[in-house]
Amino acid sequence: MIHVNGLRKRFGSAEILHDISFTVPDQSVLGVIGGSGSGKTTLLRCLNGFERISGGTIECGDIKLESHLSAKEYKHRVKNLRLHVGTVFQHFFLFPHLSAIGNIIEAPVHVLRTAKATAEREALELLESVGLKEAALRYPESLSGGEQQRVAIARALAMRPAVLLFDEPTSALDPRRTVSLRTMLRSFVGKGHTMVIISHSLGFLDGLADNLLYMEQGDLVEFGPTNQVLNSPKDPRTKDFVAQAG
Amino acid sequence: MKRSPYLARHLVATILLGLLLCNNASSQSALRWGADPSGGAPYVFTDPANPDQYIGYEKEMVEALAKAMGRKAEFVPSDWETLMSALQRGSFDVIVNGFEPTTDRALQVSFSKPYYIFQLQLTVRRDDTRINSLADCQNRVVGTLGNTAASRYLQQQGIPFRTYADPIGAYQDVELKRLDAALMDVPAEAFYAHNNPKLRPAGEPFLNGLYVVGLRKGDDALKAQIDAAIDQIIVDGTLERILKKWNLWNNAQVEFQNTIRSGTKGEITGYVMTNSAFNWREALWRLTRAAMVTVLLAFGAMIIAVVLGMPLAIGQSMGPSWLRGLCTTYVEFFRGTPVLVQLLFLYFGLPAVGLTMPGWLTALVGLGLNYAAYESQVYRAALEAIPRGQWEAAYSLSMSSVLAFRRIILPQAFRIALPPMTNDFVSLFKDTSVAFAISVWELATAYRELANASGQFLLLGVAVSLFYLAMSLPMAHVARLLERRLRERSTRQEEAAEVAA
Repeated sequence: MIHVNGLRKRFGSAEILHDISFTVPDQSVLGVIGGSGSGKTTLLRCLNGFERISGGTIECGDIKLESHLSAKEYKHRVKNLRLHVGTVFQHFFLFPHLSAIGNIIEAPVHVLRTAKATAEREALELLESVGLKEAALRYPESLSGGEQQRVAIARALAMRPAVLLFDEPTSALDPRRTVSLRTMLRSFVGKGHTMVIISHSLGFLDGLADNLLYMEQGDLVEFGPTNQVLNSPKDPRTKDFVAQAG
Repeated sequence: MKRSPYLARHLVATILLGLLLCNNASSQSALRWGADPSGGAPYVFTDPANPDQYIGYEKEMVEALAKAMGRKAEFVPSDWETLMSALQRGSFDVIVNGFEPTTDRALQVSFSKPYYIFQLQLTVRRDDTRINSLADCQNRVVGTLGNTAASRYLQQQGIPFRTYADPIGAYQDVELKRLDAALMDVPAEAFYAHNNPKLRPAGEPFLNGLYVVGLRKGDDALKAQIDAAIDQIIVDGTLERILKKWNLWNNAQVEFQNTIRSGTKGEITGYVMTNSAFNWREALWRLTRAAMVTVLLAFGAMIIAVVLGMPLAIGQSMGPSWLRGLCTTYVEFFRGTPVLVQLLFLYFGLPAVGLTMPGWLTALVGLGLNYAAYESQVYRAALEAIPRGQWEAAYSLSMSSVLAFRRIILPQAFRIALPPMTNDFVSLFKDTSVAFAISVWELATAYRELANASGQFLLLGVAVSLFYLAMSLPMAHVARLLERRLRERSTRQEEAAEVAA
């Protein structure tokens, strides 16, 4: 479970996130929507510890990030947090000097100290589950955008995170691939993962996300079950966004 | 430390001279004479009390000669090792620089009659009781000036020696125990070593030799004028007065001048004409040894540079601000000052604080420290070329910064840094030649000295170039192989991708 309470984020004197509170129950999917500059990417970067929060708390399992912690303690907790939170970046950031399987086993072998043979077996299983078993020895530069994304997903899954964060996962995909990605992500819920997905595409989140969170200019405008937010939004701003995004 | 300002002056002088020659030939009336004023006391050297003027007994003597010839003396500062080639190029009309007649020099230039009788003096540390004559130096290293009577004599006697650009460096290295002894012409010994409390003469002066004026072959009219002028300043006592002023008047001069004054015709006999027996086998062997020193210097310095460059790059791009400042200062200092000056500082400056390294080690460390500054910038550029996302991807997988750096960033940065690093290594190879300034016998020094001793600039130049190529070509080949391997892997991957699609 992720529990965010009163989260604020300031860069210098500019406050980017104002008093954000929400909960993501275990094995559920939260979709974060909003226009450019709404603060959704900053929210994601707070959730995986790349930005230090300026106010409020983030709880993830038994790890709690608080704004008043010392730098050292905050860093220590972020380190623990990341063992449970995997991230799939918008631009994937695969390691170009490593093959697909090399990308996947790097952290299990060197962080978790898994035996290399075990890690490789597990990596092949993961590649198979994302439909890329034959690409194990290929290097990122020879993979298409969709293939790179699936390697990045397998790489995040290899650390067995409870939570998966996705930043704009559909931006590099054609409609057909978007559908198959949605099917794949949906299957992760059954395997025990909790997910937070940032996306422009309401169509992608419809049928995938259990809850939606709409942000505008750093404010949480609306947070509720997907069906309700899409079909009967309470706030007129959400209504406008949904109508425009179609 | 004396060398580089002098070289600069030399350059300016050469340029001015060139302009003068282009303009007209009216400078005929001036008697242009070439000598090396660097560490050149008491012959000709910079006046310590008046640094934009030269003084010395030979300067006074040439002025006296010129006066006797009805001409004006004009000093052209030059470099000892290249005096003869500069004379032949026409940079000046005569060499007056404690120049001894030898059979090999006689092939290239002609000589005036002698004007001074010199001897050689061996000098050791005052507390050194082991050495009392050259015979005690059979298994020791003796310092001397390159291409002089002393160096040729040591070569003939089979005594190991190291050549220096000026007497100061040699005497200092004796003091610092980098050398056991130094062998110099008496005038230099008298000026630089005789009053040094840490040094003492070992044995009596020996081996009488002659100083003459060197002229271009065929310049017979000038030779006749110079010979006449030498006779004149000896007979009228001008030379005696000059030599007495400089404490160079001794029994050998009395005897020599008396023969002139008595009007005895014919050659002065009884003096040893030292000769350098140049043989190609020995020259090639010396070049081979010099090449090995060059390889040692280049590889040793590169290892230091590659290893030290890394913490510098990391400190400069990721460290706390005080460390950044420190690393930046290091880099700017070593990049912003000539490597020659740095080597001279390490070699002559550090002993003042009790750190005395032999020449080869000084060159190795100095070049290593210098190139570390350059390598750090190559690394820094390579590290900064890695997108931030690579760090974040590694962190998101719970990697520590050390692990992320070692496993993710460094391998990528290495591929970027490899081509500029090979470039630097090739230029480091060539930069080893600055080690000549601290008397390290590497390839460029070897070429300079062997070519000057033999006059075989062309053939030895080809030989030395072949040595350099034999070393740099395999290196370039290895670098190309490495780069191709990295490239081929990507090509293979692209082909695999095409097949898959």
